[in-house]
Amino acid sequence: DFLFKFLVIGSAGAGKSCLLHQFIENKFKQDSNHTIGVEFGSRVVNVGGKTVKLQIWDTAGQERFRSVTRSYYRGAAGALLVYDITSRETYNALTNWLTDARTLASPNIVIILCGNKKDLDADREVTFLEASRFAQENELIFLETSALTGENVEEGFLKCARTILNKIDSGELDPERMGSGIQYGDASLRQLRQPRNTATHNKQQCSC
Amino acid sequence: MERAMEQLNVQLNRLTRSLRRARTVELPEDNETAVYTLMPMVMADQHRSVSELLVNSKFDVNYAFGRVKRSLLHIAANCGSVECLVLLLKRGANPNYQDISGCTPLHLAARNGQKKCMGKLLEYSADVNICNNEGLTAIHWLAVNGRTELLHDLVQHVSNVDVEDAMGQTALHVACQNGHKTTVLCLLDSGADINRPNVSGATPLYFACSHGQRDTAQILLSRGAKYLADKNGVTPLDLCVQLRQVLEHLSQQSDSHYQRILISLAEVATTNGHKLLSLSSSYEAQMKSLLRIVRIFCHVFRLGPSSPNNGNDMGYNGNKTPRSQVFKPLELLWHSLDEWLVLISTELDRTRSDPPGSSPSSEIASLLLKQRDASLDQSAAPAASCDSAPSSTDTAPKLPPALDPQLVVMEAEACVDGEDVISMTANRLSAVIQAFYMCCSCQMPQGMTSPRFIEFVCKHDEVLKCFVTRNPKIIFNHFHFLLECPELMSRFMHIIKGQPFKDRCEWFYEHLLAGQPDSDMVHRPVNENDILLIHRDSIFRSSCEMVSKSTNEKLKQGIAVRFHGEEGMGQGVVREWFDILSSEIVNPDYALFTQSADGTTFQPNSNSSVNPDHLNYFRFAGQVLGLALYHRQLVNIYFTRSFYKHILGIPVNYQDVSSIDPEYAKNLQWILDNDISDLGLELSFSVETDVFGAMEEVPLKPGGTAILVTQDNKAEYVQLVTELRMTRAIQPQINAFLQGFHTFIPPSLIQLFDEYELELLLSGMPEIDVQDWYKNTEYTSGYDQHEPVIQWFWEVVHSLTQEERVLLLQFVTGSSRVPHGGFAFLMGGGGLQKFTIAAVPYTSNLLPTSSTCINMLKLPEYPSLDVLRDRLLVALHCGSYGYTMA
Repeated sequence: DFLFKFLVIGSAGAGKSCLLHQFIENKFKQDSNHTIGVEFGSRVVNVGGKTVKLQIWDTAGQERFRSVTRSYYRGAAGALLVYDITSRETYNALTNWLTDARTLASPNIVIILCGNKKDLDADREVTFLEASRFAQENELIFLETSALTGENVEEGFLKCARTILNKIDSGELDPERMGSGIQYGDASLRQLRQPRNTATHNKQQCSC
Repeated sequence: MERAMEQLNVQLNRLTRSLRRARTVELPEDNETAVYTLMPMVMADQHRSVSELLVNSKFDVNYAFGRVKRSLLHIAANCGSVECLVLLLKRGANPNYQDISGCTPLHLAARNGQKKCMGKLLEYSADVNICNNEGLTAIHWLAVNGRTELLHDLVQHVSNVDVEDAMGQTALHVACQNGHKTTVLCLLDSGADINRPNVSGATPLYFACSHGQRDTAQILLSRGAKYLADKNGVTPLDLCVQLRQVLEHLSQQSDSHYQRILISLAEVATTNGHKLLSLSSSYEAQMKSLLRIVRIFCHVFRLGPSSPNNGNDMGYNGNKTPRSQVFKPLELLWHSLDEWLVLISTELDRTRSDPPGSSPSSEIASLLLKQRDASLDQSAAPAASCDSAPSSTDTAPKLPPALDPQLVVMEAEACVDGEDVISMTANRLSAVIQAFYMCCSCQMPQGMTSPRFIEFVCKHDEVLKCFVTRNPKIIFNHFHFLLECPELMSRFMHIIKGQPFKDRCEWFYEHLLAGQPDSDMVHRPVNENDILLIHRDSIFRSSCEMVSKSTNEKLKQGIAVRFHGEEGMGQGVVREWFDILSSEIVNPDYALFTQSADGTTFQPNSNSSVNPDHLNYFRFAGQVLGLALYHRQLVNIYFTRSFYKHILGIPVNYQDVSSIDPEYAKNLQWILDNDISDLGLELSFSVETDVFGAMEEVPLKPGGTAILVTQDNKAEYVQLVTELRMTRAIQPQINAFLQGFHTFIPPSLIQLFDEYELELLLSGMPEIDVQDWYKNTEYTSGYDQHEPVIQWFWEVVHSLTQEERVLLLQFVTGSSRVPHGGFAFLMGGGGLQKFTIAAVPYTSNLLPTSSTCINMLKLPEYPSLDVLRDRLLVALHCGSYGYTMA
């Protein structure tokens, strides 16, 4: 019914590509290299009875690609902001990423904060509490994920999609607007079809 | 008795009735005979008779008969016998009875458009959803034939208009294939799924496009149909030929359609472009689809919306939204492209930064360290920077502290990384650049390069050059803009010239013919008026007349020649025409061209003005050569090296003089080689020329008669006097020739070649008979036929490709031409001059040289066959131009 443009952002090494890979292939990506520029993936999901195609742009975390990756921000409807719970550095960089996303993509962008590498709890440098407080302050949805085990990966993407759908329903987001990152699928047709159903109903009555 | 009477009466009665009606009044007992009695009546809808016959009979109304096992109800529905149909239904005929192919009476009524029958069948609750053996329902049948009126009735009874047949096709698919507009509308209004794929993934829009149904596609698009690909990834957009027409048509219907189509194309292109820039996508597929969409986009954009008055108003359409609005989605892609190139440029800088010792590298190293900070695991990076100071003092005391070995290693790593990024992205970025160029130029008048694009190329000059140096194929694949923009071309010329001749040829023709719509359609009926009718006895004049009468466009599309009084036509005749005509052009009777000193090559005659029309003829000669090149026909003329240079716009040098006056060339050489200070030559910057017997003093430059030639300015003198002999004397002729030549061959395109290659292009690759060559070769200054070096030489020649042999011939004789009669008739400056090989003492790395005016190859006494082969090939491939005078 819809097509959403998603971003995956965050510092290098946080596990963005692995998250995407896990989400699309349901597999953990061993020996993953640094992403060069931007990678692309897509998957069709079912959210709240609607089919949504997620067009996901996985950006490089390395600083040298920053200018390139920024050029992909525009028109994104949702973003997964990823940090590594075993690396405070990646957590500290979140503010910058957040500012980038809100200024470059769209102020209405729905952002999910993902504390990745949940499986490495022993090496944890960022506590759940601290991160969820940060999420609350910045109006983000927060999840701790593991690209290795796949825990919460699906949920992260779906939650983001669901939030966008809710915002569309509540009128907060307007898919018609250019650069919203949302496109209609054949939803427009479904809407056309609804009044038709009642018409068919009437006819059935008279034919009996 | 009474009984008998009664029976007789009944029989009599029956007989009279039967006789009166001219038919039986009683049905036969068995169904098979009965049904054939009834069938003609049903077909004619004689319902009274049928009713009468059925009344007292035990006939089974559902009896199926014949090859396809149909019931009478089928027959009635098929023929539209509505009264009989009702009668049969009343008598309990099964409305859903299926014949052998699975068709119900409803199917047949629908197929044949029997409106009333269909209505009655529906009334008797015929099932609309029954599929026949092919999966077709009544609704499919209506859609196939576009019976919209009936469809309106039918859809009231249908719960799902998207019933699929065996191929997964719905009625909408079928209607779209056949282009039934009202049917399509009716189906859409009934809730048909506009984007529904069939089993192979084809949507209704796909079918409308593939079947060229413009109006239907228009309806679908206006109802929000999407450009969905089928299962093979072919989208409706890919069905170019048809779609192009459809889109052209649609976009010209109204401004809003135009805008909508273009904006969605631009959006598709942008996403495609971004995917192309993702390294994990397939380069080939994404590149093709991006370029295809952009091509269509530009095409439709150029056509513009409805009214043709907007033609010259490129930017705006009346007072409505600017047309350029449609490019907006693409800006995202261009922005990414720009950022990528900036990134590559920084990568390049980093790669280029010198190894330790120079000051900028230390900055970069520290910069790098910062990036590593950000990119590597947190703990590692600070450790590295802490370590750096002490370790550097140990190992490399002279280096600045930041450049300890560890960092150097890291830097090297980054370099490799940088190289990687470039090599991985170059092709992809280049394809996007090509798309960018296409979009930029479609907003410009034809033949102009958009300033934005020029600015873009200048900005990223370094990166683009890096791309093509690493992978020259990019030029041919994506940098077509170079050919359309000479100022950009010159930046890349040295790289282009370094590419194989064959590749450049392909590129040349690909681009030359790009503007021709039907260049691939070889056989087109020739319009009788377009045939060039040539008189053999005045081939030059009649050809000139015919060519000037025709238009350039027609001549580009194709040439058809017929000789007066002859039947023959076709490629053979065209070839013959070019052959004879080109020899005729250099016929001395016209005084247009003169022979060079060796008698085999030609150049314009400086005194051609004896022929008052000479400049027109030169233009014609230029046209003929241009046309020949355009149509890949060979001509039978070999020009002097200097004249090929003139065609290419390459400046001549004093060595070119040897082709028209070898003795004089030697004198010029002598002046250059020796100190002339004390010789008392008393030369001034002027020459005396002989103009039809009268001597005239011509200054080489303003006031030249008063300037003496000295040791210091002798080079300038030689250049000026060369230009006088080679160029100025025949400038008007050259100009006229080029004017004609350029009508078919753009100057920017011909620049791809050097003078040797131009000869091959125009006159073709000659067949070289190595045996003949071997037999007619002489040896001098120490060589003879039995020397090992000579034997090696011929061994190498035998192993060369045809192309390389031609290069060798050009290298030694200055021409690719083998004279008529073979090598025995090879001409030099002073008459017959056989191919000669002279010995030169060997020093390491010495290359072979040649003296073209005496057809002499100076071959060093190489120590082995391999060295000889190697040096010879180097000389052929690199030295075919820019050779030094021996």
